[in-house]
Amino acid sequence: MQLRRFSWPTHLVAALVLSLVATAAAPPVADAQAPKKGGTLRVSYGNDIANLDFHTAPGYEMMWVAMNVGCGLIDITPDGKFVGDAAESWQVAPDGLMYTFKLHKNILFHDGTKVDAAAVKFSIDRLMDPATKSGMRSFFDSVHSTEVLDPLTLQVRMKQPYAFMLHMLAAYRTGLVIYSPTATQKYTVEDRKMGKPEAIPGCGPFRLVEWVKGTHLVMERFDKYFKPGRPLLDRIVIRTIKDPITEMAAFKAGEVDFIASFSPEHVDTLKAQSPNASIMTGKETTPMVAAMKVTVPKDGKPMSKERAPHPIFGDLRVRKAIGCYGIDRNEIVKIAFKGQATPWVAMAPPGTLESIDLNAKCPYDQAKAKALLKEAGYGPGGKPLTFEIMADTEKSVFNVIATVIKDQLARIGATANIRVLDKVSWMNTTLNDGPWDMYVEDLLSLLTIDSNGYLSNSTSTWSHPRHNDKKVDDFYARYAREMDATKRQAIGRELLEYMVDNVYWNNVSGSPFFMVAQPWVKGYTYNAEFEVDWETVWLDK
Amino acid sequence: MRTYFIKRLLEMVPTILMITLVVFIMMRSIPGDPVVAMLGDAYTQEDAERVRHDYGLDKPVVVQYLIWLGKLVQGDWGTSILSGRPVLQDVMIRLPVTFELIVLSMGVALAIAIPAGIIGALRQNTWADYTATSVAMIGVSIPEFFIGVLLLLIFSIGLGGWLPSSGWVYLPGTCPTMVCGVSLWGNLQHVLMPALALGVGRAALLTRLLRASMLEVIRTEYVTTARAKGLAEKPVVFKHALKNALIPTITVMGLQVGFLIGGAIVVETLFAMPGLGTFGIDAIIARDYQQVQGFALITAFAFVGINLLVDLTYTFLDPRIRYA
Amino acid sequence: MVKPISGGSLREAELPVSGVAWRAPAARSESPFVQGLRRLRRSMTALIGAGIVAVLLVVALFADVLAPFSPTDTDQTTTFAAPSWEHPLGTDQLGRDMLSRVIHGTRISLIVGVSSVLLALFVGVPFGMIAGYYGGQVDRLVMRVMDLILAFPIYLLAIILMVIFTPTAGLLGTMKVTGAIAIVRIPIYARLVRGSVLSIKEKEYVEACRALGVRDPWILFRHVLPNCLAPIIVTTTLGIATSIIVEATLSFLGLGTQPPTPSWGWDLKANVAFIQANMWLSLFPGLAIFVTVLGFNLFGDGLRDALDPRLK
Repeated sequence: MQLRRFSWPTHLVAALVLSLVATAAAPPVADAQAPKKGGTLRVSYGNDIANLDFHTAPGYEMMWVAMNVGCGLIDITPDGKFVGDAAESWQVAPDGLMYTFKLHKNILFHDGTKVDAAAVKFSIDRLMDPATKSGMRSFFDSVHSTEVLDPLTLQVRMKQPYAFMLHMLAAYRTGLVIYSPTATQKYTVEDRKMGKPEAIPGCGPFRLVEWVKGTHLVMERFDKYFKPGRPLLDRIVIRTIKDPITEMAAFKAGEVDFIASFSPEHVDTLKAQSPNASIMTGKETTPMVAAMKVTVPKDGKPMSKERAPHPIFGDLRVRKAIGCYGIDRNEIVKIAFKGQATPWVAMAPPGTLESIDLNAKCPYDQAKAKALLKEAGYGPGGKPLTFEIMADTEKSVFNVIATVIKDQLARIGATANIRVLDKVSWMNTTLNDGPWDMYVEDLLSLLTIDSNGYLSNSTSTWSHPRHNDKKVDDFYARYAREMDATKRQAIGRELLEYMVDNVYWNNVSGSPFFMVAQPWVKGYTYNAEFEVDWETVWLDK
Repeated sequence: MRTYFIKRLLEMVPTILMITLVVFIMMRSIPGDPVVAMLGDAYTQEDAERVRHDYGLDKPVVVQYLIWLGKLVQGDWGTSILSGRPVLQDVMIRLPVTFELIVLSMGVALAIAIPAGIIGALRQNTWADYTATSVAMIGVSIPEFFIGVLLLLIFSIGLGGWLPSSGWVYLPGTCPTMVCGVSLWGNLQHVLMPALALGVGRAALLTRLLRASMLEVIRTEYVTTARAKGLAEKPVVFKHALKNALIPTITVMGLQVGFLIGGAIVVETLFAMPGLGTFGIDAIIARDYQQVQGFALITAFAFVGINLLVDLTYTFLDPRIRYA
Repeated sequence: MVKPISGGSLREAELPVSGVAWRAPAARSESPFVQGLRRLRRSMTALIGAGIVAVLLVVALFADVLAPFSPTDTDQTTTFAAPSWEHPLGTDQLGRDMLSRVIHGTRISLIVGVSSVLLALFVGVPFGMIAGYYGGQVDRLVMRVMDLILAFPIYLLAIILMVIFTPTAGLLGTMKVTGAIAIVRIPIYARLVRGSVLSIKEKEYVEACRALGVRDPWILFRHVLPNCLAPIIVTTTLGIATSIIVEATLSFLGLGTQPPTPSWGWDLKANVAFIQANMWLSLFPGLAIFVTVLGFNLFGDGLRDALDPRLK
């Protein structure tokens, strides 16, 4: 997904990735045949849906359901253009402090009630309310208030300009999902979580029929969907198949039409088994990080405001030696992803908007790494350098990368021990400021650099390294507020360079994302994890 | 006899409670809790603490257990913090799948063990005996999931989808959800590979037992007498020896249920079956305390209950055994 | 009083037929061991099993010498290599030589298998002896705890234990898996020994010893223990087989020993998804597990046949 053209790096690997994408990418959106109405799309998830309270539940599995059962104001296309969803048109004031959205007439929630500006205001207000505990709350920090001008017009007043307001509404997390005020007040949060269809009347193309955790989720066409002729499918059934070999078997046998998020490690095997499969991917929008902890609580109390430098990685020289020069990113990509990823240094991965290639800043240089370590007191004659790399079991590739890093660091005299733990334990350690040295994870998909704020600023719980550097916050704030593209990109470059120079965020590569569809699945537009819309999909059989 | 039955029934209760208490405590010893999983990217320490307080997770462990117990006796198995779903409802939805899997696995085990045991007993110490025992032995020496994978390769991938790789189709009339596939044939197709994977390993012990029991019985007097009376060998074998050999076999079958429940976890995970096995392990990994309690409760109940049944059946079948 | 031994052991092959406690042998005849050994030598299955176990022991002991490469050395230039002269079993995703991993895996598997069983033994046997010998409250208390462990669906316990321990690599990781499996097996030995103790406790010569003032521990050691040895040995051998399977299954669930430790279970699980293109990567660890477990099962079975003539 690219928003603007920037000078392509003449990196050989980038060219390889491109050719791979070109050969494996799905056929273009526009299809010569006439779409057929009807049929059931059988989707396979690799992980369970946590719960169905769209505003608060974690996990992409939930988000993709939300994008089809719910509707928002706007959507974003793979080219980065905004298209209206519930909003027919919108205007942005020149100073960026006022957004006016005009809704379509006749949009209905699945229970028949009208979708109007009041419902949108209700939804935004509740997302901003700390009592809701939504993961999207911080995205609305720049919003001052919302006002209903008339039943179909909503005005959003900003505290300061926010260059990514539309991006945020379209595709940060689920994007804005409009909740029905009547249903939300009538039913409890538990009703929504457990998937009671009456409690979750969205305004999207598909109506929730039933969710049985671990068994299936069934959605049906909403006949009164406001976009004419959509959706084409009668039904969507989502099942969770965790084991990749079973998932591949199901796909090969034709039991499954669409795999949402397929493990990159097994793409080759799937291709060999099912040569006609349509394998969709693009430039990576998720970073694969080898994060290092920068500060630890001074008094031992988790999340304490008093910080002390981490005994090993508190020293910038060590971070640079290990993270910048001591890791051979090309080798990692080759072994872990069979070359199907981009070695990457800058914080924002190649597919993120306004992303910049800073690979030249951290070439693989054993000598330099050793020299820096010596300066910091490690190496021959100095202290031994031993630490632990955490890899969680959500994706097996984390452990593979950790192993390669371990071997690479052995070459410069550092000993890394790998600790494997499950995702919840990992979250527990990192979110609670627990003891850790380095971890390998791919965190979250980044539509824009701005969306990485709460993963890397100085205060957020999810900013695990806890670098405590207010300058980073300052960069983010200025970046978000700058409406002029050129000036903003300059700030963006500064931010990215600052993160690399201080090694507050240590990217190894992009984390590739794959979706797989049977050859008879037509009409799907691939837009990474950001937009998974099945309303245009039809089955050619 | 009746008093013994009632006494054993009552004894079940503290055992089941102890198991659930131990599981309760163990789950809370694992790093992380459902609040971490639930809040996900919205996690902040203040919010987490508030949520923990709302759900009563900050109370002392024993107090929490008593609260759970209090709700339980009123028929409320609790609600999952993570998914908001009532636990009892989900357990009831998953139970038939695992039940069918376990029953059919035992069937598979018997289908292998009975012929193998009979051959082994009748043709003792011949090549037929060794072959029969070896076949059973092979089954127990391969991990279930590997058998499952091999089956998947052969029947799902290899033979182009002869048997479905995953999921479930319910028997007619047993659909527990609004939407489900229902068909007898479909059900058999879905349960065949998992039952094979799980049941093959159980056959070894049963074969050995059957064989040994039959040998023992064959040598006893009354079979010799029957032969002396001039009855042909086959009826002798099948009527007397087999029937009596089944007694210890049934005993052990009951004891094997515990292992079958454990094996079901693995097989259900591999074949993505919506049963109690996946219910349990998913709950443990996600730290879904309420769901784990529900899983522990139902499996403890099934396990202890079946052991009781086996003990009683044993008494009933073999009049020589009497309990003090 | 005859009571079936209730509770599930992991692989039930080690239960005696009708649940009757092992009886003590006749007082002054040929020692059961000599008798047993003779029968053992004649049993085909036992010999095959013993042979396999012996080979495994040799491989485990001399792994460093036998393996051409180090099992943990990665080599990014030869990942997923097909079997060749240099790498007879190919290489895995990180370029590690599969043959070396399988050879070294023998060591890990045997360590986990043997030590988990020995651990269960060293904890279970004393408890069983104490419970059986002293009876009364002590017996009831010990058996309550044992029943509780036994009443757990086995994998549930092992899984929760492993999640608490957090799977790791290296020696610590191996120890954790060993511990989890051992805890689950302790009651089997406790019950076994208790049954034996109960049956000979009332024997005259034990009474006589007591009357003579011989101290209890000595009685336990000298008279009671040797009579339990036969079933203990059989159970141990078969238990090793079970432990290896459990370790492999825990690895399948992601809860076993972690890489780079060369574990058959982990190699099997990690490479199973590549089974179509690189079949040997999962096949050989799987085969290794199969042969090892089969060997111990055959040997254990043969031992049981040899040491308890009533079963023939």
